[in-house]
Amino acid sequence: MEGLRKGGFGSHLASLAAALLASVGAAFLLLYAFSSSFGEALGLFFLGPFQNAYYFGNMLGAASGLALAGLAAQFAFSARTFNLGGEGQLYLGAIAATAACLALPEESGLLGKAIGLAAGSAAGALLGALSGFLRRRLGVDELLSSFLLSSALVYAGDFLVSGPLQDPASNFQTSPAVPEGLRFARLLPPSSLSTAALLALAALAAAWFILGRTRFGFELRLSGKNAEFARYCGIDAGRYAAASLAISGALNGLAGAALILGTYNKAMKGFSAGLGWTGIAVALVAGGSPLALLPAALFFAYLDAGAKAVMIGADVTSEIVGVIQAIVFFLVTARALDSLVARRAAARAGRAAGGRG
Amino acid sequence: MKSLQDLSGILGAAGAAMAPLLYASLGGLLAELSGLLNIALEGLILIGAFAAAAAAGASRSLLVGLAAGAAASTLLAALFGLATLKGKANEFIAGLAANLLASGLAVLLSSRLYGTKGLLSFDIPSIPRLELASLAKLPILGELLFGQDALSYGSWLAAFLAWLLVAKSPLGLRLRAAGSNPKALAALGLSPERYRLAAILLSGLGCGLAGACLSLRLSAYVPGISSGRGWIALVAIYLGGRRPLGVLAACFLFAAADGFANYAQGFLEAPADFILALPYLLTLIALVAGAGARRLRGRD
Repeated sequence: MEGLRKGGFGSHLASLAAALLASVGAAFLLLYAFSSSFGEALGLFFLGPFQNAYYFGNMLGAASGLALAGLAAQFAFSARTFNLGGEGQLYLGAIAATAACLALPEESGLLGKAIGLAAGSAAGALLGALSGFLRRRLGVDELLSSFLLSSALVYAGDFLVSGPLQDPASNFQTSPAVPEGLRFARLLPPSSLSTAALLALAALAAAWFILGRTRFGFELRLSGKNAEFARYCGIDAGRYAAASLAISGALNGLAGAALILGTYNKAMKGFSAGLGWTGIAVALVAGGSPLALLPAALFFAYLDAGAKAVMIGADVTSEIVGVIQAIVFFLVTARALDSLVARRAAARAGRAAGGRG
Repeated sequence: MKSLQDLSGILGAAGAAMAPLLYASLGGLLAELSGLLNIALEGLILIGAFAAAAAAGASRSLLVGLAAGAAASTLLAALFGLATLKGKANEFIAGLAANLLASGLAVLLSSRLYGTKGLLSFDIPSIPRLELASLAKLPILGELLFGQDALSYGSWLAAFLAWLLVAKSPLGLRLRAAGSNPKALAALGLSPERYRLAAILLSGLGCGLAGACLSLRLSAYVPGISSGRGWIALVAIYLGGRRPLGVLAACFLFAAADGFANYAQGFLEAPADFILALPYLLTLIALVAGAGARRLRGRD
């Protein structure tokens, strides 16, 4: 992440290539270790996602959700803040969107969709903003506060889905489906690819413009890069840090809402679990560029689709993807976010200098 | 009298629940003091719990289980330490990676070795307890002081040893210098990175014992058995003012809150989801209150 440097796309591609290589190697080894039918599992893992239009469409659909979740993580990184609350923000965003859409009539169409997306974003933004507020006013580390808040509220989401929002006609812990008129159109039925993918693309383009081409984006990145210098320039760095967390939360909420309107159509208990973490992985591989999120999201969606294909067709559980992700993390991001380390080290030195008995 | 007996029971349960938190938190404290944020506690606990249960189940021996749990976590901690210290990986990302690796690996191993991703129950001997029934019946503190198992008393011992190390020994001074003033340490011809690696390995050991504590007490491994304890242990470090005895107090506070939540479930009719959320909420409130208090006192 080269902070204020505009380009850097080439280096992101290099890191993406390294990620690809590392994960191929990891998948190879893991399948060898954990599958009794190595060759078959290998084929399913790497070629499964391209097996038919259904798998392929599902992969693209998953990638659009990952791109939004990745953008959420990246927006916080841009201001050198950590949003670890993606899990809760996404889940509650999805639930807020579901609740809003269930209250709307079928005919509300485009406006109804917009209201659903706005409700999801607002829920996520609220959670993100709370962490931002705590950091700005009380100096509470946003890394911890966002994680704790999110972890607690995931249970609030579980409660809502299996209580007040529970579909009385279903035996599963799920809300009723949102009205058909409020769903995004499927692009490759019956796969989950929908026009939500266009929304994700639009969000990436907008973020690229805002972060790279506007005063707001410039000041936001400068605040993270060098708060001291930003202050000399008359920029309130703390406000930008808080804003980045709120926007990051909003994007996670939007991702959750898009998941409801595009893919699942109803909120099920824990249906988005893990997506917030994968979003962080996507952002780390993409580095600082919103446009690089697209290949990064496709890459992680591919890994996930491969793992699902192996789970269905061979004897390996899909958790293999978590292990591969971990190895990719270790290998690829070794030198990424160097300045974040510097910020935390400086904060620690400050704490240590503050004296302790 | 009835409620005093209840109180003794709650405090006793809190003492038991504190043990895994305390092991993990003390380990994390050493890493934190040496200058590394160990965000991998959660994963280290999980892999420790799995290894301990599997080894104890296979050998029918608690000691083998403890050793295996400690070894597995220490191994993963070594990977984390080498990635951050030698590979210059970001401590936060490497920590996340270790967590992902632990939870993924536990599932893969579980389904490969036992053919299931679900609960694994083992035939494991029960953990020795202090047999002082009459003293344990004392009101209020009876259960806490005299009704614990060996792992609980072990955690108290660990806190005492950590206190000796950190506050009283030259080794501890150097460990803290690695975090607060690495240049001074380097000027003495000592390598801060060495101390950090040692601290990371010790945090692996602590988390391994924490995990072993969880699964050996249950005689089973349950997926997600660490259930947020690594994160709470992390917060206990800060809440305890980065001092071993403070960490002990913070861990007890969390365990007591958790114990109270379980107890309250009996008569409050609160939804189970709320009870599950409580440790995280309380941690957050403690964190905010601590920060607010520091603000008021004018430092920070």
